[in-house]
Amino acid sequence: MSSTELTRTDLGRALCIITGASRGFGRTVAREMSRLVKPGSALVLAARSADDLRALKVELAESEAGRAGLVVECVVADLGEVGGLESVVRASEEAFSEHMDHIILFNNAASLGDVSRYTQSFTNMAEVDSYLSLNVSSSLCLTARVLQAFPQRPGVRRTVVNISSLCALQPFRSWVLYCTGKAARDMMFKVLAEEEPDLRVLNYAPGPLDTAMQTEARFRTADPSLRKSYLDMFAQSQLLSCETSCAKLTKLLLEDTYTSGAHVDFYEL
Amino acid sequence: MSDRMTDVIPTDGRTLGRCICIITGASKGFGRALAHQVCCWLKPGSVLLLVARSETLLQELKEELKGFAVEQQLLVNCIVADLSTQKGVNEAVRVARLESEKENDHVLLINNAASLGDISQFSSFTDLDVVNSYMSLNISSALVLTAGMLQVFPRRPGLRWTVVNLSSVFATEALPSWVLYCTAKAARKMMFSVLAVGEPNVRVLSYSPGPLDTGMQKDILRMTGVDNHPFPCKDSAVKLMKLLLDDDFASGTHIDFFSV
Repeated sequence: MSSTELTRTDLGRALCIITGASRGFGRTVAREMSRLVKPGSALVLAARSADDLRALKVELAESEAGRAGLVVECVVADLGEVGGLESVVRASEEAFSEHMDHIILFNNAASLGDVSRYTQSFTNMAEVDSYLSLNVSSSLCLTARVLQAFPQRPGVRRTVVNISSLCALQPFRSWVLYCTGKAARDMMFKVLAEEEPDLRVLNYAPGPLDTAMQTEARFRTADPSLRKSYLDMFAQSQLLSCETSCAKLTKLLLEDTYTSGAHVDFYEL
Repeated sequence: MSDRMTDVIPTDGRTLGRCICIITGASKGFGRALAHQVCCWLKPGSVLLLVARSETLLQELKEELKGFAVEQQLLVNCIVADLSTQKGVNEAVRVARLESEKENDHVLLINNAASLGDISQFSSFTDLDVVNSYMSLNISSALVLTAGMLQVFPRRPGLRWTVVNLSSVFATEALPSWVLYCTAKAARKMMFSVLAVGEPNVRVLSYSPGPLDTGMQKDILRMTGVDNHPFPCKDSAVKLMKLLLDDDFASGTHIDFFSV
């Protein structure tokens, strides 16, 4: 888009795939997307919790977008398992229709890993493998499958978002799995951006969000000074609501001027 | 001994001490070259543990080092293990533990074992098992082995602890079709940075050795047609030795061959 064109006010007639959609940031993204996509769009929401997904689907069905015909498909899946990915892709293929002009994939599902232990305690390969399967491999394979299922075609934009973190750039004591996973993902999506110039790829670090993951960080972090900084952030109301952070993400997506493959942090905007 | 490192760097009495040195992926390529170089700097009573999957190649290497070993009173042991498995890591740790009773003043762990993976379009990586298997060898294995060794040799006064991560320019530079390799190297760089911030008494170095004349580089040429003008492993191994002997790198730092 040239600088003289107006920023879009919507994300088009979109197929929006969101992982980890049942709570936290993923759920907020689902709600925001429902408001930003045009009629004729579809959301594919993947998570492990059937109950939470169902509740979200009901909520979205009753929203303005829902009443205008927004399609919401829920996929109960564990992305760390082989079968989980396939079910998300199948649902996406079924939800797609020919008049859609935008495919957006939000790689949001993630886990913290055991932050109550230091690096030298990670002697169990199955634990590390399992962590990497969910947090690294599944986002590679899901993205690859989605790109295969929806190859480049004229008139259809494709956007891939990776929910990143400051931890992708900076090491933190007792957070070896999370930092490793986030650093891996940032690089993964940078490679994708280099390979596919027609794709829009964004590594978005949302800032410290007030979610269940943050609570886990606050209570379980082994490193005393890091734990204190999380406790302080909470006590001083410095945590961000998911809505606040999501607003910046949507601004990025609507303006669509970010450099593909870039790491963009909430606090930079 | 004209091809000794002593011709290349000044000898001022620095050594790697009475060391337990563990090198993974020691049977070929850079690991093998490192085994040759490191011997020059280990004081009598040191132990060199060479880990790889190929018993034949390891025994050959041990034979090559025999003269050195005798002359410098080094114990060289081969550990045949597949480090992509818990069993393999456990075996390496078990053998290292046997050496932990000795009066060593330095533990030097060189995480060198790695694989190239398929060089292919991002969208081709749809098989979770394939990707997981790659990440297991190239990320998990290095973490689990390092953790195991850290537990076998607890930090104590008088014990120097050094961990080397064999890295790559592709830990920081994204290259089309190289998603597996770039992702794993970026992951390792961060992983060892976290180790460095968490363990002030462990010296952690990520070393990017440059394009080397190895089987891996031949695979790269075959798969991509790109000639990276590789140079001998020995040249890079010598530079790594210098870094370890100088021992003034900031722990957790990432150093490239071309900047030494």
